[in-house]
Amino acid sequence: MLRALWDNVKGIYSLLVGMSITWGFLFSPRKTVHYPRQVVDSEILKSYRGPLELIPDQAGATKCISCQMCVRACPDNCLKVVKSEGGKNPKTWIYDFSLCCLCAACVESCPAGAIRFSHKVYLVTKTREELKLDLLADLKARKSAILGNVPKKSS
Amino acid sequence: MSSLNFINPFGVRDDPGTVVGDFYTDNFERNARPGTVILNLGPQHPSTHGVLRVLAEMDGEYVVRAEPVLGYLHRMHEKMAEVKTPWQFIPNTGRVDYLHPISWNWAYAGAVEQLAGLTVPPRAEYLRVISCELNRISSHLLWWGAFVMDLGGVTPILYAFEERETINDILQIITGSRLTMSYFRFGGVSSDIDARFIKLTKDFIPYLRERLKMYTGLVTDNVILRRRVEGVGPMSVDLCQRYGATGPILRAAGLARDTRRDIPYGVYPKLEFPIPTGPSDDCFGRYMMRLKEIETSLTIIEQALAQLPSGPYMMEKAPKATFKLPKGETYFAVEGARGQVGVHIVSDGGKSPYRIKLRAPGFSNLSLFAEAAKGTLLADALAILGSLDLVIPEVDR
Repeated sequence: MLRALWDNVKGIYSLLVGMSITWGFLFSPRKTVHYPRQVVDSEILKSYRGPLELIPDQAGATKCISCQMCVRACPDNCLKVVKSEGGKNPKTWIYDFSLCCLCAACVESCPAGAIRFSHKVYLVTKTREELKLDLLADLKARKSAILGNVPKKSS
Repeated sequence: MSSLNFINPFGVRDDPGTVVGDFYTDNFERNARPGTVILNLGPQHPSTHGVLRVLAEMDGEYVVRAEPVLGYLHRMHEKMAEVKTPWQFIPNTGRVDYLHPISWNWAYAGAVEQLAGLTVPPRAEYLRVISCELNRISSHLLWWGAFVMDLGGVTPILYAFEERETINDILQIITGSRLTMSYFRFGGVSSDIDARFIKLTKDFIPYLRERLKMYTGLVTDNVILRRRVEGVGPMSVDLCQRYGATGPILRAAGLARDTRRDIPYGVYPKLEFPIPTGPSDDCFGRYMMRLKEIETSLTIIEQALAQLPSGPYMMEKAPKATFKLPKGETYFAVEGARGQVGVHIVSDGGKSPYRIKLRAPGFSNLSLFAEAAKGTLLADALAILGSLDLVIPEVDR
């Protein structure tokens, strides 16, 4: 009888200890990020693997030599690189992000060091077709964005 | 007969040969005792952790027989290994068990290295240990939260996620992903650690030790949890060995078997760590076992960070994506969070391996559920199921 009572006292005490911990957490600062109003720390995004992007050389053109190593290495067949006539540089560079598993097989197998992962966390599309990215067009857009910014800064 | 009518809306079965439910239900129902109810738990039941289905024959609240039905998350990883090149299969290994992907990375990379005779530089070996143990902690933390949630306490999983997210932040620096990591390469690892990684890890170790004390106050000493798990679902060493159960379940039963110690691999022989055996072979023993393993992993990470040598993280002339396996056969096992993870490769020297067998510890651990759940209350059977730490993608592969 006494023992059962003592067990109950101990049980209630353990519940009070647990409750005090949860009450402590109620008044501790928030750990989550409220997305539209806040964004995650850019330090974390440095290692984030977003969709692939081509690395520009000093002239802003692609380093790709259309050797097809990335296409052969890819486990998901999500790359399509077509060589241009009479040159090393690619004519088309289509990357299907909807198939990609972000394993870095292409990045590691590229002998020219022409591709890397971007850090686009907030990429949203409405259709699957939009996830088929034309990386050459993307590179051109980035180049013109950089060139467009230069005069603004100097003026 | 009326109870049979209740089970089977299509009426009493006249001809024993006709199939009324699906294949499993039909076979299961055939041996049912009169007056019992067949209960179908899952495949979409919250306490079966994914898409596991359990058929249970119930006599009131008691489970007379229970039988797990598998295959709802079968993704043909073994078949895919026969189609892809060895390099292309690395991302698959991260997806077999999403809670402890790095152990599967290790089992596969280790098997390929053993077969091809590749040597891994010492720095890479230490990086493997650090990443694998961090991942083991995150797996146990999620189990801790999910197990308590199975028993009705929803709050602790949110606390567990706080630590788990910190580990994900740390592992993201080197692996590039927060889930389904594929960090290992044949002959090394994919990237080196930086100062930020070391700082975050060193801060995290004392932080988690403090949090583990909080866990004791919040959950372990809680009277409700104690009464739910103490003495529930005893699994003797004999039962575990008959079904091939490994990992925390076997160690909680009292047998100190750990692949890290018994079949040493990597740099584990150079590290000093205890192989704890559980206080008891019931659900509470398995619960305490995993909390002890978190502490063991913390000790291992501390030692590995202190001993970390400098040098390359990838061997010279490491295999490229077009690498072919030499002819031969090998088996390599590592200790995952759920038990022994093994990869058996048979290669005929072709472009892709001839056959790969993945030994998932969860499959063996789940097999003993049918015997362990016999004669228990349904609520206790679910506690047993939770204490096995099942990851259904790993069970089905």
